[in-house]
Amino acid sequence: MRPLRDELKCRDFDLYRAVYCGLCAAMRRRYGWLAPMFLNYDFTFLALLLAPPEESFSPCRGRCHANPLRKKTMYQPTPALDTAADESVVLTWWQLRDRARDDRGWKGWTALLLARLLRPSYRRAASRRPDFDRKVEEQLRRLDELEAEGCPSLDRAADTFAELLRAAAPSSGEESRDRAMEQLLYHLGRWIYLLDAQDDLEEDRTAGRYNPVAARFGPEGDRDAMARTLDHSRNLMYSAAQLADFGCRWPLIENILYLGLPLVQRAVFDGSWKQIQKQKIWRNST
Amino acid sequence: MRDPYSVLGVSQNASDQEIKKAYRELARKYHPDNYVNNPLADLAEEKMKEVNEAYEAIQKQRSGGGGYQQQSSGYYQGGYQQQRQYGGGNPTFARVRNLINMGDLNAAERLLQEVPQKSGEWYFLMGSVAYRRGWLDEAMQNYNLAVQMEPGNLEYRQALAMMQQGGQAYRPYGGGAVVDGMDCCTTMLCMNCLCGGCN
Repeated sequence: MRPLRDELKCRDFDLYRAVYCGLCAAMRRRYGWLAPMFLNYDFTFLALLLAPPEESFSPCRGRCHANPLRKKTMYQPTPALDTAADESVVLTWWQLRDRARDDRGWKGWTALLLARLLRPSYRRAASRRPDFDRKVEEQLRRLDELEAEGCPSLDRAADTFAELLRAAAPSSGEESRDRAMEQLLYHLGRWIYLLDAQDDLEEDRTAGRYNPVAARFGPEGDRDAMARTLDHSRNLMYSAAQLADFGCRWPLIENILYLGLPLVQRAVFDGSWKQIQKQKIWRNST
Repeated sequence: MRDPYSVLGVSQNASDQEIKKAYRELARKYHPDNYVNNPLADLAEEKMKEVNEAYEAIQKQRSGGGGYQQQSSGYYQGGYQQQRQYGGGNPTFARVRNLINMGDLNAAERLLQEVPQKSGEWYFLMGSVAYRRGWLDEAMQNYNLAVQMEPGNLEYRQALAMMQQGGQAYRPYGGGAVVDGMDCCTTMLCMNCLCGGCN
């Protein structure tokens, strides 16, 4: 999940980078040197979504974690950044643990080592977000079971990750906002999971692993049906996003939803996604 | 009531033309077509009502209180009547429809599972439960079966058609082909088309 940079206004691009750096700083402040290594664009997007509408951007300067000699403009510390930082650590730890268990190669060993190192941070994060931690554990276990039984239902498999992401938004105290946010996050989770599955179709076939797209449509998958259901999830995200207020962050969020997501989807279908993933968003950055 | 100008997102001294344009854009955004069977339809309907009221209030103010132009108000009202009443049919299905409208999907599904005969309506309602959950693939499969069993039923066919087109939502940046022709000029052209051409 990333913005389409060419279509961003400079101030929105600055905002995006400030949120990215702000999230990194929040992770370092709360969890030390290791956690920021797992910083990603997905949780940056979550941090953007979670900020209350009336919150404004008041930039502050701080040292870059990757290069301490440089100072970067950052989003001010906020509860939304803290939430995103905590949840990012919780999810990362569970995913590392799963990979360590499933992968017998060097990747598995690396994951095991990282999971061990991240464990103290995870425990702190889990105690701060017990509900999210429980949800992640529960949904990942459900996903394991479905994979083990070779679940032929696309929706049932996707529902696990969708429910997990739905739980990422703490209640704002306003019912209509919470409902819109839940639908947005549910379909974002569904979209991510299914697009990932589509992307992994060939790799899983070679490795003989479970793949929900193959389980539903056969080893070759069904590109049209997948594109249609992914489009539909995006439409349900859009209709939800239009009902919530995101304040000054809306142009950026709008760019990510309406331009960034379709670009990624198209790239997965035409096979260029692996290249795009390697591209840096921060090229020419100062 | 909130300040009608801020509801429409325009300044107090905006021209009539600007206000009309802002109103039309918002009406396009919250249009019932974008929220067919959507679990958030009630929220969109509320927004639409708020936008309509704000537009009417501004029209009233600007025409000096009394006789403002009737034809401009209520443009987009109506249309949000999803809870149609279906008389005559199977009473269990009527209850299921009620439960779906109230959002109690588990109860609706349980009730459906108890029905021995699987008719077109049964599959349609099963599809509706799945759709409300966000289980789009299963919704489509059920709607398909419903249409196969009762090809003449308009309600089932509409539901299936909506699935086949991958749903519908308001899009900025000029609608449909969002990224395909994403240079500035095309975008602006599309935007112009949409702003000028919406009804």
